[in-house]
This record gives sequence, C-alpha cells and structure tokens, in this order.
Amino acid sequence: MKRFLKHCVSAFALAAATLAVPAAASADWLAEAAKPLKGTEISGIFLDRPGYRAIIKLLPEFEKRTGIKVNYEIVPYENTREKEVLNFTSRGDLTMALVDLVWIGEFAENGWLVPVSELAKDKATTDPNLNLDGFFPLLLNAFGTWGGTVYGLPFDNYSGLLFYNACKLKEAGFDKPPATWEEFATAYAPKLTDASKNQYAYALQSLRGETQSADSFMRFLWPFGGSLLNKDFKSNLMSEGSQTGLKFRQDMLKYMPPGVVSFDHAEAVNALAQGQVAMITEWSAFYNTLVDPATSKLGDCLAVAPEPAGPAGRLPALGGFSLAVASQASPEQQKATWLFIQWATSEEIAKAYVEAGGVSGRMAVYKDPDIKAKYKFVEPMVASWEKGVPEYRPRFPAWPAISEVVAEWGSKIELGQVSPEVGSKEIGTRMEAILQKEGYYDGKKKLLQ
Amino acid sequence: MRETTVKPNRGYGRWTPFWFLAPAVLTLFVIGIYPTIFALVTSFRQYNIARPREGFPFVGFDNYINVLSDSTFWASLLLTARFYITVLPIQLVLGLIIALLLHKPGLGLLKSLARVVLVVPLATTYAVVGLIGRLIFNREFGVANQFLDVVGIGGIDWLGSQGGAFAAIVIMDVWQWTPFCALILLAGLSMVPGEIEEAARLETRSKLAMLRYVQLPFLLPSLTAILIMRSADVLKLFDMVFVMTRGGPGSATDLVSIYIQRVGFRIFDLGTASAQAILLLILTILISRLYIRVLYREVN
Repeated sequence: MKRFLKHCVSAFALAAATLAVPAAASADWLAEAAKPLKGTEISGIFLDRPGYRAIIKLLPEFEKRTGIKVNYEIVPYENTREKEVLNFTSRGDLTMALVDLVWIGEFAENGWLVPVSELAKDKATTDPNLNLDGFFPLLLNAFGTWGGTVYGLPFDNYSGLLFYNACKLKEAGFDKPPATWEEFATAYAPKLTDASKNQYAYALQSLRGETQSADSFMRFLWPFGGSLLNKDFKSNLMSEGSQTGLKFRQDMLKYMPPGVVSFDHAEAVNALAQGQVAMITEWSAFYNTLVDPATSKLGDCLAVAPEPAGPAGRLPALGGFSLAVASQASPEQQKATWLFIQWATSEEIAKAYVEAGGVSGRMAVYKDPDIKAKYKFVEPMVASWEKGVPEYRPRFPAWPAISEVVAEWGSKIELGQVSPEVGSKEIGTRMEAILQKEGYYDGKKKLLQ
Repeated sequence: MRETTVKPNRGYGRWTPFWFLAPAVLTLFVIGIYPTIFALVTSFRQYNIARPREGFPFVGFDNYINVLSDSTFWASLLLTARFYITVLPIQLVLGLIIALLLHKPGLGLLKSLARVVLVVPLATTYAVVGLIGRLIFNREFGVANQFLDVVGIGGIDWLGSQGGAFAAIVIMDVWQWTPFCALILLAGLSMVPGEIEEAARLETRSKLAMLRYVQLPFLLPSLTAILIMRSADVLKLFDMVFVMTRGGPGSATDLVSIYIQRVGFRIFDLGTASAQAILLLILTILISRLYIRVLYREVN
C-alpha cells in the first residue's frame, strides 16, 4: 500500500510538473534556468545519422542561450552500446545516455539512468512546456519507458516505411503502392522483377547483426500474427503466425537482388536510389538520403507509404533512440544535461529540428501544413506511429545475446542452409537457455519486455 | 714506463642495466602481462559487466567447461583453421616469388621502389582493408566483378554467398600479408653468403636446385618467424572481417576472434570471453613450440 501511494505521489508530481503550464512562464525559461549552470560541460554520444547532424546544426543556439558546453563524440552504431556500458560501469565522463529502444531495460535496471520524475521535481530546471503528452505515446512508451517509469525522452525516431519508385510502379501498371504483403507478393513483385535486366521488386536489408535480427527477421513476425516470445517468455517462433511470416520472407527472396544477406541499410537504400529495385522497407530517417540528388537518382519518382499490412494488421518496424540523464553525472551536470535533453526534444525547436533533417517525436509539429507539404514521409510515418508494438523487439537486458542468435540463424534461414522450422527451433532453444540463465523462468525476474 | 690505471666508471654500477631495462619491462608489464593476468583471473569468475548487480563470483573452471562444450566455439575455431590453411600457402608461395625476384642482381632503383610499395598494404589499418574489401567485392559496383565481366565470367555474389564471402576475406588477407612474407623471406635470402651462391651457380643452372639446396636452409628461420606470427595474427584477426561481413552470411566468416568479440563486447560476458582468449593463447604457444621444434634450424 505504502509502495502504491509512493507511486501515486511520484506520478502526480510528474504530471503536475510536466502538464501544468504556469501562466507566468518566463519568456526564455531556458536562459533563466541555466544561469547557475553557466560554464558547465556535459557530454554524450551521437551517431553519424541525420537526426544527430540536425541537432549539431542547432547546437550553437543552445550553447549561446545557456552557456552550457555540449561535448559529443560521433560513434558508429555498432560500437555505441559497448562504449556506453564501459563508460557507465567505470564511472566515466558521460553525463547523457543515448538509449536505443532495445537498451532501455538494461540501462534502467542497472541504475544508470535518472528517472524523469526525479528530474522534474526541480521546477527551476524543468521546462514549463515540457508536456510529455505531446510525444507520440508509442514513442515515449517504447523508447523512454521501462517498467512504467519514464527515463528518456524520444529524440531520434524511426518508423519502418515503404519507400518506392512511383515511376516504376506506374510503368508496371500500378498507380498506388501495395496495401498488404499478400498484394505485394501476388500482384506487384512478379511484375516488377526481371532478373535478366537486373531489376527487382524489393530489397530487404539482411546483413548479419542487428540489421538481420531487427530489420529482416522481426519485420516478418508481427504483421503475420507471430512474435518472438509468448506471454510466458517461451519461444513463439513455432507458432503458425511466426512460421507463415518467415516462410513468406523466404518466398520473397526470388524478387530480391542476389546477396541481400550482405545488404546493410546503405546497400538497400542505394539499390532503390540507383534504380535496381522498386521498393524497400526502411527507416524514415533515410528519407533525406533518398531525396538528395547527390545520393539518389529518384527525383520526383520517390514516394513513401506505410509498410504493407499482414494478416494481423499493419505492425511496422519500430526503432529509435531516447536521451536520458546519466546517474553517474554530478548534480550540476545532471541539471545541465536535463536542460539540454528538454530543449533537444522540445516542441519549441521541433520544426527547426525536422527542417534540419531530424525526425521529431512531437505530435504537434506534424500538424504544421508546411511540414506536411514539404516532407512526403510525414503522413505515413504518423500513421505508423498511431498503432504499433513497443516490444517489436524485446527491450529487456537479454536482447543483445538473443539478437546474436537470431542474426546467425536468421541469415542461415535466408541462405537456405536450414529451413525456417529448423532455424526457428534452434533460435528457440538457444533463446530459452539465455532467458533461463537470466532468471526469467524461476521467478527471479519480472516478465517485462 | 708510465703505469696507466683504469679508473672505474662512476656512472656505472650494479643497478645500471636494471635502469636501462626497467622502462621496457614496465611497459611490457602494463600493456602485456597485466592484461593477461587480469584475463586469467577473470576467466575463473562470472564476470558480466552489463550485470554489475550480480557481482563477480568465483566459478572455478565453469567458464572453461562452457567454452569447451560450446559447439559454436568449436565451429569458429575450425573455420579459423580452414582460413589459416588456405591463406598461408598462398602467401608463402607468392611471398617467395616476390622475394626471389627482388633478390636477383641488378635493377637497383626498381627494387628499392618495390620494397617501399610492399610496405603499403602492411601499413593499412585492418578496418580500412575491410572497407576497401566491401567496395571491391560489391556485387553491382565492385571492381572484382567488373574485372570478371571483362574476362567473361558472370557477376559473383561475393559477400552474399558463403563461399564468396570466405573467398573475399581470404583474398583481402592475402593482399595485406603477402608483402610481409616477401619482406621476411627477402631478409632470409640476404643471409645467404654471396660466395656460396656464386659457387652454386657454377655448379648448376637449375633455379629450383639452387633454392632447394642453397637458399632454403637459410630461409628456415624466416619461415618459422612467418608461421608463428601469422598463426597469432589469424587467431586474432577481427577488424577486417567484421567490417566486411560481420561474420556472415550465416556463419561463413565467423572466425574465432569475431565470436570472442561478440561474447565479450556484445553480451559483455567477460568471464567466458577471457576463458576463450586464454585457451587461444595456450593454442598459439603450442603451435609456436611445434614450429620451432620441427622447422627451426640454425645454418652454420
């Protein structure tokens, strides 16, 4: 009861701090809040992706208004978790955590992140317009929340989208993209594939690693009614839905360029950009690469739609990062970092952030007619974020180990080395061994994903 | 006759050699011995740094038992052995041909230039070699397939097929390490006394006989060095393969170093990763001892 009351009080405090907009809010609350923190240095990790380049572009404004110096290191995605885990375990210098949605469980359970409710208690450093309800609920829930506690604010947000070459589709007699995977397989793919001319309907990025596990394997589970785990945390890969999805992926290989198992994001995007394939399912963040004439031949032929729906509905790939305050930072640095995170994810700069190449997690900005008109990806992306599964990939600490197993056996299935049944059984056995070791089956750990 | 007395050198004492050696020994200790001892201690613990709250308890030989009963570890070790057996003969043959060409008398300037060029692949960072490999073996735009098209062979799916990916990493390793073999063998050839070579040339015109009976005995120490260094290199070959294939497709290029990195820095199970690394260290020492016992001969 006492615990329940405590939760209620902290939830109320958070709601009061974030939802209420004081009538007398300062014209420049950020500058006011930062006055005692002038000269503080904060540091974090950024990726070499459009969302980070966008915030780097806007950074001088923040530093000028606050006097807080933001240090950042640009790191390849594959090394980011390694860097952060080593930094947090050795009490290093990072004051801000960049949290991929699949790391949130690990980071939160290890106590490396400060809950937003704790930070929001200090009214002096909390944006009167913070408005957590202004984020897409799916994003706030999936990217920043673990076990009901909000730790991070959605910063670099992706949804899987169908990017397609409308000119090629028109030539083949289609005036709109496929609405379902079935339509895709029966009508579109055969007409758009001509291997003798090196023309293919679709490219699915499937390189071993997170690309295979998250972008390729998982993409065909949820829309077909499957999933990785059932409610008891046992493998659900032998279920009818999962097997249908994995067999569908296998059947689609004849409509893809040879060697997609070696395609990372760059190769898939390039295949569409250079006219080799007619469709790809990729993260919204690649929109800018596909519209840039320096990297794409598509021009006005580029069009964007939500990912096709499966028998279980439209459940597209979900991915992205939140920013959170690292608990290892000093109190001053925590405050300064909190200011930066609020600013970087605020409604105030959302439009500028999108125009600089980022994808904001704020709902309001996508209602702006200018933004809607200028960016073709906005409407399908917003539609994708209306409904989705936060646990598209499980977000618990065991995911990195499971991801490795899925990556290895998922690509073996694609290569035809093993059948979807044999591969799924192997993944299931190994995955359950990992979860057993983690303590999910003997009641030591809550079944959270 | 004036008697001369040798004054003792005031700067030289019993501890002087110690001070000269100390920096090197200290450096070796910090960057070589301490991490090895740390890995050894860690290999007997449950040591997952992504689970600090579980502590790091002593688990005896559990990690070693887990490693030795792990089929993926054995598969990756066997693949590494296959890789080693494939690349080494190619590198030795090509290296020997280059070394013999550079050992021939004459063409001084060209030979000096060739020696410099040979260092370029060696000086290239492994990760960059991997990136170059990704570009060369790209199915659509890579130079490898452009070249094969010219000679009438259809585009090979290098990085997207199991055999192709394995061949691609073999080719890149041969490109990077053949010059190393060439330079070491060239150093061995330069040890052959000129008068013996002259006398042998008068005896026979067969280059093969010359190589077999005159030059080869002088090449054995170089050969031993190459075998030991390449064994250690192949067992820890990581960056190039990771950048090119990440161990895939499937497990076609999942060398043991890639597997250890994954256990150590993706799963952060440093206990198991350390046990794997210690087993590899033992394997490297055993192989090196074997090479020295079987191959190494001093030439008088």
